[in-house]
This record gives sequence, C-alpha cells and structure tokens, in this order.
Amino acid sequence: MTSAPATQDLALSARGVRMEYLDRGTRERFVAIESLDLDIKQGEFVTIVGPSGCGKSTFVKLVNGLLSASQGEILVRSVAKGKSDAMVFQDSALFPWYKIIDNVSYGLVCAGVSKKQAHERAMPLIKLVGLGGFENKYPYQLSGGMQQRANLARALCVDPAILLMDEPFAALDAQTREVMQAELLRIWRGAEAEGGARKTVLFITHQIEEAVFLSDRVVVMSARPGRIMEDIRIDLPRPRDLHVKRTPEFQEYQEQIWQLIASQLKAAASQFGGSKE
Amino acid sequence: MTAGTQMVAVTSNAERQRSRMPRWYRRREASILSFSGLAAFVIIWQLAADLKGLDFTFFFASPSGIIEAAGKEVQLPRFWDDVATSAWELLAGSGVALGLGVPIGLAIGWYRRVGFMFDPWLNFFNALPRIALLPLLVLWLGLGTEMKIAAVSLGAFFSIVVPTAQGVKTVDRNLLDVGRSMDASQGRIFTSIVLPATVPYIISGIRIAIGRGLIGVVVAEFYAQTKGIGVIIVKSQQALNSDRMLFGIILFTISGILLSYATSLLERRFQKWRPGQDMEE
Amino acid sequence: MTVAAPAMTSRGPERSRRRIKIPNERLFYAVLGFVGLLVVWEFASNFDLDPSTPGVQGLVKRILMSAPTLIWKAGVEDFSSGAIWPHITISLQEWFYGFIISCFLGISLGLSLGWFRRFRLATQPLVSALYSTPTIALFPLIVLIAGIGLESKVILVVLASIFAVIINTMVGVQSVSWKHLEIASSFGASQTQIVRSVVLPTTIPFILTGVRLAAGRSLVGVVVAEFQAANQGVGFYIALNGQTLNTARVFIGLVLLGGFGIFVGELVRLVENRFDAWRPSIHR
Ligand SMILES: Nc1ncnc2c1ncn2[C@@H]1O[C@H](COP(=O)(O)OP(=O)(O)OP(=O)(O)O)[C@@H](O)[C@H]1O
Ligand SMILES: [Mg+2]
Repeated sequence: MTSAPATQDLALSARGVRMEYLDRGTRERFVAIESLDLDIKQGEFVTIVGPSGCGKSTFVKLVNGLLSASQGEILVRSVAKGKSDAMVFQDSALFPWYKIIDNVSYGLVCAGVSKKQAHERAMPLIKLVGLGGFENKYPYQLSGGMQQRANLARALCVDPAILLMDEPFAALDAQTREVMQAELLRIWRGAEAEGGARKTVLFITHQIEEAVFLSDRVVVMSARPGRIMEDIRIDLPRPRDLHVKRTPEFQEYQEQIWQLIASQLKAAASQFGGSKE
Repeated sequence: MTAGTQMVAVTSNAERQRSRMPRWYRRREASILSFSGLAAFVIIWQLAADLKGLDFTFFFASPSGIIEAAGKEVQLPRFWDDVATSAWELLAGSGVALGLGVPIGLAIGWYRRVGFMFDPWLNFFNALPRIALLPLLVLWLGLGTEMKIAAVSLGAFFSIVVPTAQGVKTVDRNLLDVGRSMDASQGRIFTSIVLPATVPYIISGIRIAIGRGLIGVVVAEFYAQTKGIGVIIVKSQQALNSDRMLFGIILFTISGILLSYATSLLERRFQKWRPGQDMEE
Repeated sequence: MTVAAPAMTSRGPERSRRRIKIPNERLFYAVLGFVGLLVVWEFASNFDLDPSTPGVQGLVKRILMSAPTLIWKAGVEDFSSGAIWPHITISLQEWFYGFIISCFLGISLGLSLGWFRRFRLATQPLVSALYSTPTIALFPLIVLIAGIGLESKVILVVLASIFAVIINTMVGVQSVSWKHLEIASSFGASQTQIVRSVVLPTTIPFILTGVRLAAGRSLVGVVVAEFQAANQGVGFYIALNGQTLNTARVFIGLVLLGGFGIFVGELVRLVENRFDAWRPSIHR
C-alpha cells in the first residue's frame, strides 16, 4: 500500500481503478471507467456527477463489491462493528413480498441476526426516517417517497461506515425530492447524534443543485470512459436548510459545475458527428 | 477512535465465473446444447433397446424401429385416410368452437347481466374435464365423425369463451370514454375499440384450445375406434406393436408443435403483447 | 329556412332510471341463469308431443337427455344404496397420488430447469415436444408397460398434469428480477438466503398457478384412464351408464367431477390468496 500522507482519516481510497465490461456474445471489451483515483475522508459527504453512462453506477458497485475491478485497487476502512458499506438502491428496490420491517431488517438477517432481534434494531431506524406506524405495511401501500425512506433505513440498519447512494431520489417528483434532501441531511446528522460516528456518504445524482446542497465535495466525471475531471469543495455552512439554495454562493457553485458538464456534453455531441448548433 | 482500524481491499462477493469455452461454442451454446441433448436421448434409447434384445422391444420401441414402422405405414392408403380423418375432426371441431365461442364470449363480456347468468355454468364446465361428456356425445350423435367433431369443439369451446369474455371486460375504460365522447354508436365502439382489444385474448385462447382439441381427437378416437390416428395407436397396442404405436403418438406431437407454431405466427401478426398465461381455467 | 333548435338533453348515465336496484346483481343473475336452465331442461323433457308414448316424442328425448328430477332421484338411489362410493374412492385415490407426484416432481424439475440454464437448454427439445403432445395418447403404451392396475392410471394422471407444473415453475424462476438478486448479494445474502428471500417469493405465485392447472388436468387423466381400462371409478361409471342408456347416472358422474373440480380449484385459490398478501388487489 502506498502510504499517502493522510491515510489516517480516509474512509475510502480508489487508486487507478479501471473497469471493462465483457460482452457475453462477442467477447469485446467495453471500457466503462478508464482510470479513477478518489479519496474520501471519514464523515465526508461526497457526490459524483457526470454525463449519463460515464460509469458512476459502475463505480459504486465496485465499492460495494457487486463487481470487481479489472485493474487498480479500492480500499475501504475495515470496521469493528456494523458493515463497511451499504447501498441505497434506486427506486422500487424494496422486496415487494416483505413488510417494511422485514425489508429494513434484511441486512441484519443476512448477517445472521435473529429475526426478533433484527426487528428490534430496525424499529429506531424506521422511526428515524419518519416511517413509524408503517412497519407492518407492504411496499405497495407506501408512496414513492416513503419507499425511498425505507430503502435508506434498510441501508442504515446494517450500520455501515460508508453509505452508497446511487441516484436514490431520481424517481421522485421535484417537491418530494427537496423534502427528501433536507431529510437526508437531518438523518445524516441524526445518526451521528445517536452516538455513532458520522457516516461517510458517497452520493450519485444528475441534479447539480442536489449535489451542491448535500455535499462537502462534488466530483465531476468526464464522459465515458470515465475519469475524474474536477473535484470541487463546497464551502457552505452546515447545518444547511433549503434556503441556502437561494444564496449567490450556492448559485456560483452550480454555475461552475454546469460549465464543466456542458463542456463534456458538447464533446460527446461532436463525437457523434453532431452537426447541430 | 479511528487510529486502530486499517484500510482493506474490496473483494467482490458476487464474482461470476465465466466459462473458458472457445468462442465458436459460446456463440451457439443454445443450439449446440439443445441438439446434443436430443441426440443423446435418441442414441441412449436406441442402445438400450438394442441391448435388451428382441423380446423386450415389444414394450420399449426403439428409434430405428419407429422409423421402420413409419416407412411401412406411409405407403398404406389407409394411413392417409386416418390422417385425413383426424385432421378433419380437429379442423372442423376447432372451427365450430371458434364460430360459437367468440360470439358467445363477446356477448358474455359485453353484457354484464348475461355474464352473470352464464357464470355458474361456465365455472362448472371449466372445472369439469370436458372429455367426460364423451359418453353423452356418443348417445346423442353415435360413433361417427359428428361425435368426434363435437368432442373436439367441446374441448376447445370453453378455452375460447373464457379468455374472449375476459378480454372484453378488460378493455381500457378510457378508450371507451373516448369513443362515447365522440358519440360513436354502440356498434361502432364495439367494432373499432372492443374487438381489436380482444383479439390478443382470443388468440391466447386459441393456443390453449389447440391442446384441448387434440386431446378431444385422441380420446374420441380411442373411444369410438373407427378411424383416425388414435385408432392406429389403439390397434398397435392390441397387436403389441409399440413401434407403430409410438409413431402414431409422435404424429400427434408433431401436429401439436406445428399448430402452436402457427399460433405464435398469429400472435406476432396481431399483437406484440400477450396477456398473462394465467387465463387457462 | 328555419332550423329547429336542438333540444337540450340530459347526459347523465341513463342506466340509473331504467331499472329498480337489485341489491346483489351478480348473485341474482347467477341464480337466475342456473335455475332458469334447469327449469327449461325439466320442462323440455317432460313435454310430450304425443302423450301416448311418453319420453319418446317430446321436445327432447327423455331417454337421451334425462331431466333434473330424474337425475336427483337416481342420485339419491345410488348414494343411499352406497353403490357409488367405491367408484368415488378409487377415482379419488388415482387423482390424489397422481396429483401429489406431479406437484413434487414438477416443482423440483421446474426449479432446476429454471435455475440451471444449460440443463434447460439441453432438455428443451424434449420438454417442449412432450408439452405439445396430448400426453393421454400415451395411455395404451403405459398399459403395455404397467398393466391396467392403479399404477398405470397414476402414471397417466402424472403425465397429463406434470407439464403444467414444470413449465409454470420454470417461467417463475426465470422471472426472478436481476435487481432483487443484486440487492440480496449487496447485503451479503448466502445462496440459501437468496433462494429463500428472492427466488421462492417470486416463484411461488407461478408454482401455485401450475398446481391449480395440474389439479384440473389430473382429473382429465383420471377420466381418460377409466374410460380406457377400468372396472371401477367415476369415469367408468359414466362410460358404463352411457352404454346402457342410463343417462341420469351419466349426469350424476358429471356433477361429481365438476363439483370436485370446483372444490379443488377454490382450495388452491385460497392458498394463492394467502401468498398474495403483498400484491395490490385488483379484482377485489
Ligand atoms: N452489465 C454491463 N455490461 C456491459 N456494459 C455495461 C454494464 N453495465 C453498464 N455498462 C456500460 O458501462 C457504462 C457505464 O455504465 P453506468 O451504469 O456505470 O453509467 P452511469 O454513469 O451510472 O449512467 P447513468 O447516469 O445513466 O446511470 C455504460 O456505457 C453502460 O453501457
Ligand atoms: Mg447509473
């Protein structure tokens, strides 16, 4: 391991990660991520933005261990209790045949905790995400926003050091989405207040506003094959509420990131022989 | 508090091992496996029959024996007569089932109260093995072709009626409102909205009806023992000629496959989508 | 040239003022349809065009059509004398063994066919050929191999019903969602946990559909086997009474079969509802 200056307080460290997908039929290699380096400190909220198909989902799946990298190395801090990381999936990712309580406690049951104990440990989290009273409902009986709360609770339930969130609010309407953003920050602080260490969050979104509002750092990726183009520190005071979105500083950050992505989109358009404009 | 912990490499917990087979194989894996599976079955069957010796082939026909029997059979005019009889029974029976089943199904689906009135009887006949009505059909129609056509159509009829009615009932209410808001007549709404929406259901009914119709042919011919492929099977049994018997059975298999293929063509022609296969019974 | 102004008409639903409301329309018309047909049937077979030869020159020949009252009388006779019970028990036995074997064998085969892609591919031609065969055509062959006892009938029942279970189970396994598998493995589920928490919940509704279909087809198998080679059983009872022009008793057999079919179908549906708690109900 190359001992970088501050590995002490790192939660995640990716070095030279390259990911190639193999086409089953033609055996052609398809490069999704070229070479990616990323360090995330413990307790940091980092968001990745980038054009569609640049390999964001691929990266979180690599971190989560759902895929293994073709080259390079991803290191995460080992944890004494709980799990090192857990994933909040996109919409409708609950098991429709389980009640909310069984969905939320799923990770614990997989880890061998008895069902009864798992239920006991899930209840505070169901309350934390504001679903108290709904624990015995089935997912279809909940609204989209409520389902995403349950989805979040399921990930929090295994007490992960890193929370991986791949476009968790993409399917929600604009208003619910804003509410969920503020809620996420509340829960993030709340989980800390519960006595645990502050969770590290790796968040993915297409919405620049959402990225700026939530994050300590916004990482902008290039179009496929993905690389990191820019790493922007967001120096807005915390705790933040939705009013921060009206401030000039906020809008400046938004503008800066938008320029970066727009340049990527133009590059992509000309690549496809875009004679428009 | 973080000092003691260290960084560890992520390892995939769902590593999928891909086969190391050569490229030409991987590209055609499906057809290669299907073909060799079938070939293995036939070869093992043949070997087993050969090893057991002659006296045992009375019971277990062998592939070569079946081919031999088929070669003899197709030279007989009687055989083609039998095939024609069975084909006619199936065709005429299905025609009757379709001709009666579709209008009745449409009526049951369209007029709510008619549907309610038919409900108990439909449920009863759906739960009843229709083939059990055969002795009644023999009583009423004798042992001739009419009886067998009736048996086929009875088998197929309910498989057409039920999905057709279902199809009419599930026509998108919004579409009906569109039609009404344009002041289309009942008849117009029916032909322009209800009928097209029901066609996929009718076709999926036909798919099931084919199987039922074939069963009708088989059992009716077993029962009457006058003419047809079914009679070839029964007569071969009585003569302990299992090769010829299996040849007859394979003829039914082939017609089943061909007809279900024809239905798929119909399906593709009329609709890209197909209602769930829970429609049966 | 004056054009008469069109009259204003009410556009509300017309249905409301046409008819007095019947509290349970569905039940009312169901009973009406059921009783109505019975009454017409009874009347038709009692109506004689030529009273000197009752039952011969009626609207329908009574000897061929029987009548609800005649069926009832014959039913009371055969049940009180106990003559029909052996037929019922033997048929039930054949049905039960065949159905249970079909379910167990069919579910295990269907699960493995759905789960192991290569196994499925290798057996595909054979399975789909058998699926398209009217398997009851195999009965003469089965009789040659297994005789005319209980065994051959159970084998036929299995053959008649097992493919419904196999195919439905297989389709069920194949419709397991990739996303759900990914979630399970993300939370570190073991193979058994994946099967229990993802594969089975997805597949069970399909399996139950297959089981419901198999229950009906097993009954077909029983009847065909008993038509062909039997001296007992409801199928035999129907065939025998058909040949001896005892039409009322043919109908008794049919009522028994239909009633049993409905009973078993509803039973499976109860189980289906129990497993369907997590689905939004569309029909109710
Ligand atoms: N299982 C796979 N097999 C082959 N190629 C894949 C697979 N998954 C993703 N890809 C390809 O890899 C690239 C990156 O995909 P990925 O899902 O990581 O993109 P993304 O950045 O999350 O996009 P989006 O913002 O649209 O979600 C895409 O071009 C995609 O086509
Ligand atoms: Mg993505």
